[in-house]
Amino acid sequence: MAKGRHVNLSGAVMAVEGADAMVFSSDARWEMVDAITRETVTYGTYKYTLGDVLGDLTVKPLTGIPVAFAALYAFWSVFTSFAGALVTDGFMVKFFDGFWLPWMQSVWPDPASWHYFLFVGNPAADTCFEAFGMLTSGLFVSIGVVLPAVFVFYLMMTLLEDSGYLPRLAVLMDSVLHRIGLHGYAIVPIILGLGCNVPAVTATRILETKKQRFIMMTLLALFIPCGAQLGIMMSVLPDLVGIVMLCLIVGFCIFGFILNKVIPGENPEILVDVPPYHWPVKEYVAKKLWNRTMGFLKEAVPFVLFGILVVNLLYLGGVIQGLANLLEPVFVTWFGVPKETVGPLIAAFLRKDLAIAQLSTIPMTTYQMVASVVLVTIYFPCVATFVVMLREGWKELIAAIAVLFVVVFIYGGIIHGIGILLGVA
Amino acid sequence: MEHNESKEYDEQKITLIGIYVALLGLVTLAFGIVDILVWAGVRPGIEVGILAIAGDDFFRWAWGGFIMICAGLFMLAGSTRVATLQQSAKVILGGVLVWLIAGTDIFARLCATIPADEASPAFFNSFSGFIAAFAPPYTPAVLLFPFTLGILYLIRIHDTDDS
Repeated sequence: MAKGRHVNLSGAVMAVEGADAMVFSSDARWEMVDAITRETVTYGTYKYTLGDVLGDLTVKPLTGIPVAFAALYAFWSVFTSFAGALVTDGFMVKFFDGFWLPWMQSVWPDPASWHYFLFVGNPAADTCFEAFGMLTSGLFVSIGVVLPAVFVFYLMMTLLEDSGYLPRLAVLMDSVLHRIGLHGYAIVPIILGLGCNVPAVTATRILETKKQRFIMMTLLALFIPCGAQLGIMMSVLPDLVGIVMLCLIVGFCIFGFILNKVIPGENPEILVDVPPYHWPVKEYVAKKLWNRTMGFLKEAVPFVLFGILVVNLLYLGGVIQGLANLLEPVFVTWFGVPKETVGPLIAAFLRKDLAIAQLSTIPMTTYQMVASVVLVTIYFPCVATFVVMLREGWKELIAAIAVLFVVVFIYGGIIHGIGILLGVA
Repeated sequence: MEHNESKEYDEQKITLIGIYVALLGLVTLAFGIVDILVWAGVRPGIEVGILAIAGDDFFRWAWGGFIMICAGLFMLAGSTRVATLQQSAKVILGGVLVWLIAGTDIFARLCATIPADEASPAFFNSFSGFIAAFAPPYTPAVLLFPFTLGILYLIRIHDTDDS
C-alpha cells in the first residue's frame, strides 16, 4: 500500500552527488526516484478495515439491495417529515391561508377587477391553492411548498454523495440500468431529476454515447417528477403519491426497455471509482446546499410567478376555455379525465408543481386525480428543462418531444384502460 | 500469548455477544414480519404496553417492515464467529438499518410536534404538548434502538484493531 505525503524534494536532489544543476543523467534520475520513493512510499500488507468490509457489503446485491431500500426509505421519510409535516403543513399553510391571503384580499382594491384576478386571484378562495393569484398561490407554491422540499432534498442528496454512498448505488444499479440501455452512473441524473430536471439534463453528459444521453433525457422529461412536484403532490394528494410514483416507475422501466431496443447505438461498460466511506465535511455540505438551493430558487420563483400570470391572462382571454373545448374528446374519451385539466396542462409547461396545485382545485374522482397527475408529469417538460434540453442539441430535443407525445398518448390510454378494467375509471 | 487468546476468541463459533446478537436479530425479524402482517390487514393494529404497530401506511409498515426483516437477517447471519471482521460487518449493517428506521420515526415525531395543532391559532406547540408527544407507545424500531447500541462494542473492537 502506498501512502503519499509532502516531501522536501530539494533534499532528494541534494542527495544525488555531482548531479548537474540543470541536466540529470539517467542514473541520477533513478537515484532521485529512489530517494523520493523512500520518503513517500510505505510497503507492507494491507489490512482490511471495517469500513472496507462495510463498503463491499453495500455493493453486493444480496446485502446492497436492502441497504439501498433502507437509504431510499430514510431519504423519503426525512423529506416528507421535514418538508411536509414540519415546514409546509406546520407553518406555511397556517401563515399563508390564515394571514397572508386574508390580508391580500382585504387590502387589494376592487375584487371584480382584472388586476385583482391576476395578482390575488379568486376573491372567494379560502386557501392559497384555490386563489391562484400571482402574489397568493405564486408565493405560497414557491416559498411555502417548493423551497422546503428542494432544501431537504438537496441536503439528503449531498449527504449521500459526500459520504461515498452514491458511487456504490451506481455499482449496484448498473446491471438493472443496463437493461434499459444505461449504466450505473445514470443513477446520478435520475436522483438529481427528483430534485430538479434542469441540472439532471446537464448531468446526462456523464453518459458516454448519444444513445444513452437521448434515452436518459427522454426518460427524465417523461417519468421523473421534480422535487417541487413531489412537494406539491405530498401537500395536495398525500394518499395518492405512492400510486402515482408506481405508475411512473412502471412507465420508466417499460419505455426505457423499448427505447433501448428501438434506438441504435452502443451501451458501453463503465469503470466506477468507488471511494471509501467517510463523514461528509460540513463546510462542503453547506456550500453545495447553498449553491444548489439558490440556483434552483433563481430559476423556480420567477417561473412560478410568471407561470401564474400567463395562465391567468390566458383564462381572461378565453384561450384556455377554447382549448378545453377543442381537446375535450381526447381528454374525456381517451384519457378519462375532465376537460378542465387542459388549463393545468398548459400551466405545466411553465411549472409542473403549479399545474398540480391547480389540478387539486378541480373536482375529480381518485382515478381521475391519479391519471391527471401522471399526465402532467409525463407531458411536455417544463420550460426551464426545455431550454436546457435545447442547449444539449435541437435534434435530440425534437426527437425527445416526438417520443414524448407518443408515450403520453399511449401510456395515458393504457392507464385509462387499466382503470376501466378495475372498474374505477 | 495474549494475541493468540484474542485470535481464539475471534474464531469461537458461539460467544456471549453472538448469542445477544442472535436474539436481537430474531426479535428484529419478528417485528419486521409483524409490521408487514399488520399492514396487510391480518390484525387491525397492535398496541401492547409501550409498543404500537399502527400498520396504516404502506411506506412506513410494509417498506419499513421489509427493512426490519433484512436487519434481523443480517444480524442472524453475523451472529456466529461474531468477532471476526466479516461477521461483525454484517451485524453492524443490520444495526444501521434499525437505526435508520428508528431515527426516521423519531424525526417524524419531532417534526409533527414542533408546530401547534391545525385548529390552534398559535404557530408553535406548547412545551408540555411537545414533551407529551414523546410519551409511549413507540414503534418496534424505536424500542429496539437502545438494545442495538450494544453493536457499538463491535465497532470499537475493530477500530482498536485498525489503529
